[in-house]
Amino acid sequence: MAGTSQIVIDQVSHTYRPPRGREVLALQDVSLEVRGQEFIALLGPSGCGKSTLLYLVGGFLPATLGTIRVDGKPVSGPGPDRGIVFQHFALFPWKTVRANVLYGLEKLGLPRAERERRAQAFIDLVGLHGFEESYPSHLSGGMKQRAAIARTLAIDPEILLMDEPFGALDAQTRSLMQSELLGIWQRSPKTVIFVTHDVQEAVYLAERVVVMSARPGHVKAIVDTRFGCSDPSVFKSKAFVDKVDEIWGLVRDEALKAQGNQSP
Amino acid sequence: MARVIWRIAPWLSVMAVAAAWELTARSGVVTPFMLPSLSVVVARIWSDAASGELVANLGLTLYRALAGFAIASAVGIPLGILIARSRPVRWFFDPIVSVGFPMPKIAFLPIVTLWLGFHDVSKITMIVFDAIFPIVTATIAGTAAVDREILWSARNLGASDRDLLREIIFPAALPEILTGLQVALPIALIVCIVAEMKMGGVGLGGAMITASRFAESPGVFAGIVEIAIVGYVLVKVMAAARRRLLLWHQEVLAPATV
Repeated sequence: MAGTSQIVIDQVSHTYRPPRGREVLALQDVSLEVRGQEFIALLGPSGCGKSTLLYLVGGFLPATLGTIRVDGKPVSGPGPDRGIVFQHFALFPWKTVRANVLYGLEKLGLPRAERERRAQAFIDLVGLHGFEESYPSHLSGGMKQRAAIARTLAIDPEILLMDEPFGALDAQTRSLMQSELLGIWQRSPKTVIFVTHDVQEAVYLAERVVVMSARPGHVKAIVDTRFGCSDPSVFKSKAFVDKVDEIWGLVRDEALKAQGNQSP
Repeated sequence: MARVIWRIAPWLSVMAVAAAWELTARSGVVTPFMLPSLSVVVARIWSDAASGELVANLGLTLYRALAGFAIASAVGIPLGILIARSRPVRWFFDPIVSVGFPMPKIAFLPIVTLWLGFHDVSKITMIVFDAIFPIVTATIAGTAAVDREILWSARNLGASDRDLLREIIFPAALPEILTGLQVALPIALIVCIVAEMKMGGVGLGGAMITASRFAESPGVFAGIVEIAIVGYVLVKVMAAARRRLLLWHQEVLAPATV
């Protein structure tokens, strides 16, 4: 699939209609194509609809206008071809780490031995060996997110949707998790859409950064950011710093606009 | 040492009340008819137990209260989940729950007696009728509070609509549902006793009313003590069941108490 567009977002708009209160136009005329096994970051000020766009691709929310196609088929609901990781982990708190990872494998209908083997492999991959029988409330934030990532990777989705997955973690854990994610992605490439409001994170991880405008969100700019290296020292290189500056300039304008929108 | 004191501390207040009761009754300020001494009441409970009367009354009261509680749970939990998850069901039942919850259901006792007679069916119906409301409202609250992202995760991992209800929504709402059950169980016992007192016959409440008709105050006070003990045991059993079922929950892993 590499090289061709796996996800085609075509003139998509989304309006939030709360049961009470006024409607909010969250996304307006968003068009974007994502290639197979590409790592892209959606970047923008808070409230710009970047998470909404991710939920539309995931099939959790319907597009009000426009279409989203994955592998040529229109998205009509959630599916295990598009795995999602949320900022606040969304683990099943009544299940142990192992049972969380096993849940999706049971739904796939795999034989028991195969399920157990795969669950253990992904728990080991994210470094949670020894915590298989722990409940999520016993784990730190970083470990919870590792468990959530293992649960999603275990069902082997072609597409990984990540909604500010490291946003709730402390700085050290976050930088560790970023390089681990890059490592995992380089070993078993997947199409990744990674939502963040952290410019450095976006530039470090992604091959392309999609900068979104303030609400109603649309694509303001797409910037190539291929550094092709998971070495954390890349942060200090001039090319990296310049790229961050360039994108930060784009985001800053929108963040200011977003603040203007919020004041009465 | 401090631990031992804290373990027996809850019993100190009970012992203080018992001592005050015994002393007041023996002081001669009140007649034995107004307040029989605790020792007389305990002796009465002992002789009831020896004659087998206590077991018969207690068994019947527990059977009615627990049967009503079980039916209220079996109907109330699914109904609460449905009300929270389905808009048409909510439209229909929400007003009924809102009007019915604060209503004194015991006022329907004459009507239920008229329709269903004096036997167990009418008593259990009254218990169900009263105990179901806290179960339904707690289940609604628990179901409505299930995190959207947890539901989405389950969907994403391949859960069907039915899987979602059984495997995700029910366990996620279980802490609140158990709170509702913990409120409903004492209500079931209270309504059972009141219904028995109004209708008479075998059962702890019926035995109290019979004793009172014969102006036999040790029998009435014996009933009160027996009900207190039964209620205490039921509440403790429910709390233990909660800890067992919520092994995964923060409140069990790290209790708030010191």
